[in-house]
Amino acid sequence: MIDAPGPWGSGPFTLIEGYSSLENEVAMIDDRPLAGVWLDTNQPRTDRLVLEANTDHWNKERGPRLERVVFRNDVPYGKALDLLCDTEGEIDIVTEVDPSDAERVQDSEHARLHALDAMRIVTGVINRFTDEVPLNDVRARMALNLAVDRDRLVREGFGGYAHALSGLTPPYAGGFSGAEPYPHDQDEAKRLMGEAGWPADRPLRLAATTDVEPVANMLVEDFRGSLGIEVELTVIPDEDLLVAQHALVEKVMPLPFDVLVHAWIDLNSDAPPAFIHGAYLAADGPFRAGPPIGEFEDLMGAFATEIDAGRQAELATEIDRYVYDEALSVFLVAPQALYAVNRHVDFVGYATTFELAETGVTDDHWSRRIGG
Amino acid sequence: MSSQVSQQDSVEQSVRAPAGTINVVDPNPLNWLFITWNTMEEPVRTDERGHIVGAVMEDSRWLDDTTFQVDVRRGIRYQDGEDLTAHNVKRAFDEVQRWKVPHPPGTSLNFHPDATAEVVDDYTVRIYFPEPDGLVLGKFRGMHVPSTRFWEEEGFGYTKNGTGEGHW
Repeated sequence: MIDAPGPWGSGPFTLIEGYSSLENEVAMIDDRPLAGVWLDTNQPRTDRLVLEANTDHWNKERGPRLERVVFRNDVPYGKALDLLCDTEGEIDIVTEVDPSDAERVQDSEHARLHALDAMRIVTGVINRFTDEVPLNDVRARMALNLAVDRDRLVREGFGGYAHALSGLTPPYAGGFSGAEPYPHDQDEAKRLMGEAGWPADRPLRLAATTDVEPVANMLVEDFRGSLGIEVELTVIPDEDLLVAQHALVEKVMPLPFDVLVHAWIDLNSDAPPAFIHGAYLAADGPFRAGPPIGEFEDLMGAFATEIDAGRQAELATEIDRYVYDEALSVFLVAPQALYAVNRHVDFVGYATTFELAETGVTDDHWSRRIGG
Repeated sequence: MSSQVSQQDSVEQSVRAPAGTINVVDPNPLNWLFITWNTMEEPVRTDERGHIVGAVMEDSRWLDDTTFQVDVRRGIRYQDGEDLTAHNVKRAFDEVQRWKVPHPPGTSLNFHPDATAEVVDDYTVRIYFPEPDGLVLGKFRGMHVPSTRFWEEEGFGYTKNGTGEGHW
């Protein structure tokens, strides 16, 4: 990350004012081989951060097409959306639009909604460390998957701006297994959970962070309704998030959940096991919540050392299929990334990043009319 | 002929000249990374759908199971006027290798600690791995290639924190 403005790079824009940084602390998973991640503790940003076009950029076809981009870090999300939807000349793009605000953006005379298939997933991490409940039994894990009404989750939880998952790979990414999402089959879910032997009077402990609390609330209904067992939901307060993240990553203390609703991303869409499947299930995975799985480790080892792109893609598919067949997570959704954009901005969005090289404005944009 | 070329250049410039200002609000916690990706480049970037494409790297190939060769794109200049060459790519590789956990997402983006880079010529770099690394292109997405001046004046956390750990 860059802590001060300067002509430091060769990219389409030059950082001429401000900074956007990160403060964090390390959480170690293992020391041999060394494995760890950094947990955010603060995201210091200047109130204004300004990018200016690098007119010498080598890739003229790509851009930059904008002369200047001003990040207004002093404007909170709600106020920004008000300014974008109700006025012109104040805010041109708001990222991370909540699905509940999508209709308002669409109805605005000033704004347009852009919904992009993104490399983002929300999944249920299954705690396989515990012996109290049979989550090491594939029947119990399948039961959890069959209990979920994904269509309702997509429709009501995400306003339709999400895709049902049938593994950990979004259906539009490389290495997708092609499997259909587990159906919502309450009878089969109850039967399988009964066979697996979920203990009577033992509630299912569901946990979630505040960002995915609405998803967790819907899962409570699904699990209760389908499995016939009580569900206790714990929403981790934001002030306790860091402690909870350490517990999950470091795996020293027993994890206080059976299923954790968790959101994650990927930095590209070519090889999801490298960043998604590995993070959730590999021996060095920060979100692994159970003992390493030999067959999975073998597949991941072959994937990570395969230098033939075609064979590696086959292994990526095999890994996603394995994860699906073993129901190693409660596969939920791949949310779309939603952007509210001024109607005079030609926005070009990305599945894995927020870069503005190709984005431009029309002659009717406020900044062109006043010569900006 | 030269007059025709300059006329064409002029037309292209008027079509492609950057224009306009936009104001953005980005609550995404990865904003620090997006600012880096808008201003710096890496051997690779991602296209609109997330697929990896060349950026500073024009092409690449495995010479054998453990030797990876990168052709550095010609004609790239830093914003301070320095030409970007294979020496800058090797510098970036050497700098990231100094740290145990340089990337906030963690060690999954690390190269093998014993991997080394060699400049073959001004536009060719070879990386020698102790074992095959099929994930090298994805890892390249996190290997920013900044200017010499950046390393000397800022670095990733060097000036602010005295270390590059967790700050790439």
